[in-house]
Amino acid sequence: MDIININSIKKTFGDYTAVDGVSFDVAQGTIFGLLGPNGAGKTTTIRMITNIIIPDEGKITIDGMKNGYDTQSLIGYLPEERGLYKKLKVIEQLKYFAQLKGVNAKDAEKIAMEWLVKLGAGGWENKKIQELSKGMQQKVQFIATILHDPKILILDEPFSGFDPINTEMLKSIILDMKSRGKTIILSTHVMSQVEQLCDDIVIINKGKIIVDGKVSEIKARYGEDTVIIEFDGDSSVINDIPDIRITDRSNHRVEFRLGANSPKASEILKDLVNKIDIIRFEKVQPSLHEIFITEVAKQKLGTKEATNEN
Amino acid sequence: MKTKSKIGTIIKHEYLSKIKSKGFIIGTILAPVGIIVIYGIIILVAVMSADQTTKKLAIVDYTERIGAMLVERDTSKFFLTDLKEAELNEKVLTGEIDGYLVMPKDFAEKGAATVYTSGGGGLGFVTLIERNTEDIIVNLRLDEIGADESVKALVNRGISLSTMKVTQEGAQDDYSQVFAIMGYVMGFVIYGLMFTYGAFVMRGVIEEKANRIVEVLASSVKPFEIMMGKVIGIGAVGLTQVLFWIVLMGIFVAFGGSIAAGFMGTPDMATAGAEMQDQNAMIEMLNNISISPWLIVAFLFYFLAGYFIYSTLFAAVGSAVDQESDAAQLQIPVTLPIIIPIMFIANVMSNPDGTLAVVLSLIPFFTPILMIARIAATSVPIWQIALSVVLLAATFFACLYFAAKIYRVGILMYGKKPTFKDMVKWFKLAK
Repeated sequence: MDIININSIKKTFGDYTAVDGVSFDVAQGTIFGLLGPNGAGKTTTIRMITNIIIPDEGKITIDGMKNGYDTQSLIGYLPEERGLYKKLKVIEQLKYFAQLKGVNAKDAEKIAMEWLVKLGAGGWENKKIQELSKGMQQKVQFIATILHDPKILILDEPFSGFDPINTEMLKSIILDMKSRGKTIILSTHVMSQVEQLCDDIVIINKGKIIVDGKVSEIKARYGEDTVIIEFDGDSSVINDIPDIRITDRSNHRVEFRLGANSPKASEILKDLVNKIDIIRFEKVQPSLHEIFITEVAKQKLGTKEATNEN
Repeated sequence: MKTKSKIGTIIKHEYLSKIKSKGFIIGTILAPVGIIVIYGIIILVAVMSADQTTKKLAIVDYTERIGAMLVERDTSKFFLTDLKEAELNEKVLTGEIDGYLVMPKDFAEKGAATVYTSGGGGLGFVTLIERNTEDIIVNLRLDEIGADESVKALVNRGISLSTMKVTQEGAQDDYSQVFAIMGYVMGFVIYGLMFTYGAFVMRGVIEEKANRIVEVLASSVKPFEIMMGKVIGIGAVGLTQVLFWIVLMGIFVAFGGSIAAGFMGTPDMATAGAEMQDQNAMIEMLNNISISPWLIVAFLFYFLAGYFIYSTLFAAVGSAVDQESDAAQLQIPVTLPIIIPIMFIANVMSNPDGTLAVVLSLIPFFTPILMIARIAATSVPIWQIALSVVLLAATFFACLYFAAKIYRVGILMYGKKPTFKDMVKWFKLAK
């Protein structure tokens, strides 16, 4: 069942079109990746879903209702640019945000304390925000997002500012939310996280969707056109292979995609075994990272970046 | 699932977080303390300068009765002495006493005595002695010619009657001046409050925008509610502060006279010099100005009306900029109409019933400052007050409509410093 339906929404700011006829559906209980380069229209799309701004055209339905101020409390939104009152105590901050989402003060305090403990932040409740490190603030902001137990979570770059340990903790919380039937829209530039977490994605560029579908299907669409080689020896031999595009290269590892006129992978292997000492040779689907770059490049990544997303 | 308005939550948040802040508490308490301290210093200076002319005076009394009567009047200034004049001269020169008065045996009959001082002493000093001895001698003379009590009463009443008359005439003049001053003060206080609290609103909006809090807020609440919640919450803070001050002032006015009197020692008309009389008039004035409740209500109304009009505009300016330093230019159109009435307040107060005063005080942006000044100073016709209320209400709704539109677009706009043209564009953008 789809919990969010977005039907050809469009938003212009003066003569700049930020979102130009975007449509997609998000199924309940999934993690949905909303991807795209800077200035593609992601934030504008999210703001329309959260009813911060209203689309010029098109329609958004959330949990069967036309989106509006009534649907706002169904959503927990973690904006990319984090915002907390610097001089407010953590607990007051959390209570205030939760109350604005319709939770009463008493419940809000109780739930906030539970989450603080859960995220290893017990005992912070009476600290002022400005006394906290960036990572600590991120945790507070995350708690503020989920305090009212929303059906839908919209997380914009949720991992930024977190160390690897906290990143893993947050990932497990997100996956736990998913298993509890929550729907999560994840917007990030870190494609490895998308591959790990997302079920479906859309890639938006210049206000339009350029790729959409299940992550597995999208990758399958490209086929196993990528070769990863780990080796010992002189890496310059790789340069002699015709019509390949090297996507990642280090001293003892190279990853490249095959072009239309490049030899078959097996022939490349045959040729290389005599020249270098091959440790690993693998033919795989391209990474989402690669797909992202390819697809956006196809659109000739514009030089102009939207001002309202910076 | 119907979402109920969360404006109450926002108002409460804005109110509590401001009212609990150290800055606010200190400001609220310090401002009147500062005023009282200044007031106290003025009184002290007055008392001290009065003290300088009321010198300590030794009395060499050959009449053997008038001296004692004079000392009785004010033992702090006069004392009897048996010392010889040569010794007294020495004491005057060393500064041990300020001077001495020699009352000859025939003082009561001839009324001539001599004061010896180190020089000068001021008019107040001579007046003081004259006044005090005159009374005594007049009564003595009346006694001697066998005048009965009714005659004495008549003479004394005559004196006190004329004093009363002079005092009252002076007092009447003084009061109208006092009311004019009160008009000025109230105008300036509203000016200060509109600026201060308008700036609070603007800074609050900028803080939420600069720290990207507003995006979280806007994903929960209508932008209009965010803005109005802030405006009302901070307005309530202002009201709290003003009410606190009014209560404090009420207490001060109620007890001010006695407090001031305490500063000056016991003022006694009979022994008081010219300066003392001024102070007494001041104390009496303090005791007599009753600020009418109606004036207080009017003050609160014009303060709130002015605050609401300007704070919405300040909110619009705040929403347009990314940081406070960018607001300087954009807030000129908002601050200018606050400053203009202050430039005209002297003209208005010099003739508070004149055409200029009436017209200026009815321009809604000037009304809060100028109308309250007029109301304090003169009796403003009720139709003018009613008209000002209507115009203020209309202006408030117009400003609110305008500001709310700018606000909802402005809070999400980052990047370049906006111009007025941009703001007009946003105004059109907001549907």
